[in-house]
Amino acid sequence: MQRAAKCALRLDLSRAFCPSSVRNCPAINKVNDTVLCRRYSVLPPPRDKEEKAMLDSMLRVDHAGEYGANRIYAGQMAVLGRTQTGPLIQHMWDQEKMHLEKFDEILGEHRVRPTLLLPLWNIAGFALGACTALLGKEGAMACTVAVEESISEHYNSQIRTLMETDPERYTELLQLIKEFRDDEIEHHDTGLEHDAESVPGYFLLKTAIQAGCKAAIYISQRI
Amino acid sequence: MAALIRGLKAGRALRGLRSVAVQGTLSPQCNNVRRGFHRAALLRLASDSKSDTSVPPPSYHEVHTAGESSSSSAQGESSEGAQSNTSFQDQSGEHGEDYETEEQLQARILTAALEFVPQYGWTVETIAAGAETLGLSSASTGMFNNGAGDLVLHFIAQCNAQLAETLAEQNNLVQLGQAESKKTAEFLKDAVEMRLRMLIPYIDSWPQAMSILLLPHNIPDSLKHLSTLVDDIWYYAGDRSTDVNWYTRRAALTGIYNTTELVMVQDSSPDFEETWAFLDNRIKDVVNMANTAKQVQATGEAVVQGLMGAAITLKNLTGMNQRR
Repeated sequence: MQRAAKCALRLDLSRAFCPSSVRNCPAINKVNDTVLCRRYSVLPPPRDKEEKAMLDSMLRVDHAGEYGANRIYAGQMAVLGRTQTGPLIQHMWDQEKMHLEKFDEILGEHRVRPTLLLPLWNIAGFALGACTALLGKEGAMACTVAVEESISEHYNSQIRTLMETDPERYTELLQLIKEFRDDEIEHHDTGLEHDAESVPGYFLLKTAIQAGCKAAIYISQRI
Repeated sequence: MAALIRGLKAGRALRGLRSVAVQGTLSPQCNNVRRGFHRAALLRLASDSKSDTSVPPPSYHEVHTAGESSSSSAQGESSEGAQSNTSFQDQSGEHGEDYETEEQLQARILTAALEFVPQYGWTVETIAAGAETLGLSSASTGMFNNGAGDLVLHFIAQCNAQLAETLAEQNNLVQLGQAESKKTAEFLKDAVEMRLRMLIPYIDSWPQAMSILLLPHNIPDSLKHLSTLVDDIWYYAGDRSTDVNWYTRRAALTGIYNTTELVMVQDSSPDFEETWAFLDNRIKDVVNMANTAKQVQATGEAVVQGLMGAAITLKNLTGMNQRR
């Protein structure tokens, strides 16, 4: 019901403050403009179908990425939860949970379709986290380093795309992605500090995990 | 001698103007432009006679470029003018400065054609009849590459937009506290019923429309309209899920909508009572299935917890749980 109250607020103010061009644009589904107002949401109201499709696929893959990261940490905690590294992994997991919550909110608000492969990422993420954690603390840290490096590279490329298109239009979204990217880089550095590189076969493991991440990102953007 | 040269220059100028003016002869609005050219040419002659210097007066260039730009816009205009004389006058009789796009014109023709559907069915003749009521020739059906498919898709898009608008208004009322929010099952039932009632005026010919929508080249568009419809209904029913439920809910509602549509087409009861009863039962089925799924999940979790408890008790009993 909180959301309904927020929506009501947005409704009243959106009528007053939103540029009339949003309401006059025939290409947009007109009913959307009651919930989309620049002042309160992260995304600007979409001005045409191409922009909506681009933002949709960006948010879809980001949501899938945070969901996968969440499950990876869950897998790691399942194995290493009661050891010394438990609290460290729990802390990183909590930050990922916050990211996922934020993306859930954005997806619901802007009617973005989540990726169909979420159940697959659920199982694959948990399995990856648990298997690397079975290699010990160094294995778990190596997995973290590989995944966080992929994710921060991905966020960087999204930031580049948005900046090239129109930095002023997407200020809030850019701010959000930059914040999340900084968190992911912090996780990456934490992993390196905690002896990620000392796991046997580090290079092979890292390359394999990053290849998997790239494939997952590619598919989630489309499906 | 000087006069001869001046005369030649003037002739060249006029010929140049004429070639520009020829491009614009198709539209009557270019008459003004040509008169402008004439006046400019006369001005040039006058200025030539005043001074022997061959500095080209800036006015000539301005007129020339203005002429080119207006003649190119006239070209665009003339192609639309050939298609529809209504761009000069809208239905209210005003002379339109803003031309309508081809899509807007097509939309107007198709909307006008809908009233002839009971008479001619979903065919190109209907579109021709609609075009004729707007004062256009029936040959303007050539604009529609997809023929009857365009008409059906237009009708569906119109119905969906109308439904979305009504649902948005209801949503506003609920958020402003002026109306009670409905439970999900009731909301879905009302939304689907509202959408299907829009078919009632065309129900006799609707099987023909459905078969047109099933043609291979129409399937992508009809699926897109169906998915937008189902997404809109769930959105206003309050669904904000971001997991697999997003897909299962929409799939369920698509199934309900399609089967109810089929029932409606062969329903002969007064005011389609049997259709609404069928719809009610299907929605109840889906709600039951969802509840059952939740119960199964809860039971499963309880069973797992019980098993874990039993395992720990056994470990304690056999002394395996102690640290050595």
